[in-house]
Amino acid sequence: MSEDLVTLTIDGKEVTVPAGTLIIRAAEQLGIEIPRFCDHPMLDPVGACRQCYVQIEGQPKLFTSCTTTVAPAMVVRTQNTSDEAHTAQVANLEFLLLNHPLDCPICDRGGECPLQDQALAFGPGESRYREAKRVYEKPLHLSALVNLDRERCVLCARCTRFCDQISGDRFIELYARGASQQVAIAPGEDFRSPFSGNTVQICPVGALTATPYRFVARPFDLSTADSVCPHCSAGCNLKIDMRRGEVVRQLARDNLEVNDGWACDKGRFAFGFPDSPDRITTPLVRDHGLEPASFGEVFGRIAEWTEGKRVAFLSGGRLTDEESYALSKLARTVFATNDLDHRRHLEGGELELLWAAGLTGVTYERVERAKAIVLVGLDAEQEVPILHLRIRKAARRGAKVFVIHHRRTRLHDVATHILCRPDEVAGLLAELAAGTSAAPAGLAGAALREAGNDGVMLIGAGALDRPGAADASLAAASATGARITMVSRRANDHGALRAGVHPGLLPGGRPIAVPEDRAEVELVWGQIPNYRPGRNARQILEACARREIDVLFLVGVDPLRDFPDAALALRALRNVPRKVVQSLELGSLEPYADAFLPAAAFVEKDGHFTTWEGRSQRLKPLRPAPGIALPEWEIFASLALACGSDLGFETLEELQEELGGLVAARESVPDWPPSPAPPPMAQGLELFTYPLLVDEGRLSEGAARLKAALQEEAFVEVHPQDAAATGLAAGGRAILRTEAGQAELPVRVTEHIARGTVFVPFNQPGLAANTLLSGTFATAVTLEPAHAAAGPSGGPADAQPEEVPA
Amino acid sequence: MAVFEGATLAEARAIVARYPAGRERSSVMPLLYLGQSIEGRVTREALREVAELLGLTTAEIESVASFYTMIRLRPTGTHVVTVCTNLACALRGAKDVYEAAHRASDIPHGAELSEDGVISLHEEECMGACERAPVVAIDFAYHDEISPARVTELIQALRRGEVPAPSRGTAPRDFRHASRVLAGLEGDPA
Ligand code: SF4
Ligand code: SF4
Ligand code: FES
Ligand code: FES
Repeated sequence: MSEDLVTLTIDGKEVTVPAGTLIIRAAEQLGIEIPRFCDHPMLDPVGACRQCYVQIEGQPKLFTSCTTTVAPAMVVRTQNTSDEAHTAQVANLEFLLLNHPLDCPICDRGGECPLQDQALAFGPGESRYREAKRVYEKPLHLSALVNLDRERCVLCARCTRFCDQISGDRFIELYARGASQQVAIAPGEDFRSPFSGNTVQICPVGALTATPYRFVARPFDLSTADSVCPHCSAGCNLKIDMRRGEVVRQLARDNLEVNDGWACDKGRFAFGFPDSPDRITTPLVRDHGLEPASFGEVFGRIAEWTEGKRVAFLSGGRLTDEESYALSKLARTVFATNDLDHRRHLEGGELELLWAAGLTGVTYERVERAKAIVLVGLDAEQEVPILHLRIRKAARRGAKVFVIHHRRTRLHDVATHILCRPDEVAGLLAELAAGTSAAPAGLAGAALREAGNDGVMLIGAGALDRPGAADASLAAASATGARITMVSRRANDHGALRAGVHPGLLPGGRPIAVPEDRAEVELVWGQIPNYRPGRNARQILEACARREIDVLFLVGVDPLRDFPDAALALRALRNVPRKVVQSLELGSLEPYADAFLPAAAFVEKDGHFTTWEGRSQRLKPLRPAPGIALPEWEIFASLALACGSDLGFETLEELQEELGGLVAARESVPDWPPSPAPPPMAQGLELFTYPLLVDEGRLSEGAARLKAALQEEAFVEVHPQDAAATGLAAGGRAILRTEAGQAELPVRVTEHIARGTVFVPFNQPGLAANTLLSGTFATAVTLEPAHAAAGPSGGPADAQPEEVPA
Repeated sequence: MAVFEGATLAEARAIVARYPAGRERSSVMPLLYLGQSIEGRVTREALREVAELLGLTTAEIESVASFYTMIRLRPTGTHVVTVCTNLACALRGAKDVYEAAHRASDIPHGAELSEDGVISLHEEECMGACERAPVVAIDFAYHDEISPARVTELIQALRRGEVPAPSRGTAPRDFRHASRVLAGLEGDPA
């Protein structure tokens, strides 16, 4: 594509930019700073603040450089070379400050405020205004997270444009006009957007402030470092502010390839967990009770327990790439076991293999440029929020978006939703692949086909639990020519898979059962003693329950809370003789742990997280780990030594060199047999669940304001016809019964869920939904109205015995 | 719904249907007028219901409603009298017209609604009829070249229950009727 270029002169310097560029952007390329408030590169121009005046030769009036595009041979003078522009800017700043309270000493923005900075650099220094200033009640609580001090506002409309153009959560608006114009929210409405914190970050003054940071620190108190969000696989780049070693604020860091300039509220505000009072920072070993010990002692005990025994590993999705790799190597070379897994869903077949091998090739950029996007089993807003924003951006640019899911998602204003029962996903994908029907699935297929290489399919990990869905989506992608990728929620699910924390896959998505692939890894590792594919997470827990495993390692995972079968997890923990927990804290595993190994948190780690796309992003250690907690790769390496073996690397660099060679994207993957179809769904109502963004997960512990703003109590969502058939009423309560358990929940009735399906969130206050599940995230359910005042309710407490098992 | 119910709800739906699919939000103004024709002003309830009808947030509706002075969010009299006090009208004595209107309406100091609830009075920015300055509008119908004495007569007529003829066109019966006309609806509510 040949772009039309335009050459113009700004302050006597020539610059060539694509046609359509705004003058303010062209000036930036020359390093010329024009003062601005409303201009924001991610938002549509509006020209609200009038600060960015420049003079254009031959034009009678000044122009706002943030709304005026360049023209060939245009001659622009900024405040640097035009007295008129300079005078206008000075006057405008005086005007903007007329009603401003000048309360910088008590304003959170003080010291990092564009208004302060620009008033100093470009302003008059004096005001001629002597009258009374406009006053407002301060602050308005827009939500538990965001406050508005209206008298500080310069009416730039950045916050309202963000809500309109980026998140689509239009809860705040400019009200009234003239001197009474103000940002406002409707009484009784809450700024209930998981992206609300971005408005605070882009407010160019101190009008919007975030409760968790209000009056907490001054910029000069803070040490700031770059990091990556640990909360989901979006991989948002963050700036982390610490005060005396404690994290006090997280901000989004611009990275156009990943998060643009945004972060979701979870990434922004759930930063307390590394400083949780429950954090344990020394190793523990159980003699009479759990008692502190040295790493050496604990390693010694583990070596005794594991010698010649059957060992298995479960991990979560939050180890770094390096740690995942060390774990994969430890399990296979030291303990000769392939019983290791980080997943919670069923096998993903060839789709998962492609994802593991780094062959999917879908990136944020691809999503943004896509002409058609189909999401399958993915609630992007709740699971990978920044991907959700990219999809919205694509939709704004004209992409056709379709969502195949069981309930409507927050893409509803920009996407066609195809609501279906869990067992209908594969059928719809076949219809999509055919692309001939006039039903929405057919239209989605036609749109993908038309988009060709610019078609994208995003398959949520949740879809893998649906019979045949993984294979059907791959088939649909090849039929339509769309690019396809899996999207899994947790921060480093992808890294764990790429590094081989998987019973059948070695690093780089190499199936252990395929001799050529195995040989490539053996070149680095030496011979792999056991190459029979191992057990997946479910099978590991079943084997534990049957006492076929002697030592179970739980690395940053709590199956009692995370695994979709609480009863099985409980039986497993009771029946496996030795449990080694490696994490930040013990939590509900306390009664079961025989040893505890304290791990470093993400702010204390060096390493990488891999985004859903496959982009590996560096985490830097921002502070020393507390106590004697260690990065987990070091724990694995030392444990190997204690067991008389050796992982072969002493430094992170050595590890990275090994890992880099093995996870480099490969040319192709071996053929993969079609996945065995999970048992067909029963007739009747089908319950499904997935975690909402702000839930009871451990990484949100202590984020009280975030929860106050965004967390919902557990509920059950049903279709009006199903509600009628089962005698449920909106606002009433229902008793849910599944094979695994029962719960009583408040009822929501909505047309935006497929008939025959019932949704409960996975882990909200009031219900740990895994007590209702039997191994997958969907199950048959019956509903009836609850008549008694308060019935039994499933919850973690039901799953955990009081007594400490021997 | 409390404001838009029964026949009114049907009228509201018909208003929404005037606009192409996907452009339903274009009906915000007529819906606000319809609500105003029912309640004599736009209540918080009406704002919420318009939002619900259009699948928008209440803030989006209130942002529009609070921008336009034709939409009344505060308690409002049977008739709304606006006196233009912008430049052309001000130069031709609009300030005196406004003060005469205020006295004639029997409005407490600092308020804009008359004690008897008949008149709401407020100053308005340029009403686009500068060549006829000073201009007064009663329920959106214009009365040209108004003197303090004439505005006093107009208001006395309103308070007697009469509807004075405007300089052009026909006068709406009252503010509610005017709102109904602005909503693009013919005739009286069913
Ligand atoms: S609150 Fe901040 S971002 Fe919003 S309009 Fe005011 S100054 Fe701009
Ligand atoms: S979208 Fe994900 S990675 Fe980004 S800030 Fe939110 S939780 Fe963190
Ligand atoms: S920055 Fe140009 S008008 Fe605000
Ligand atoms: S100034 Fe009064 S109508 Fe224009």
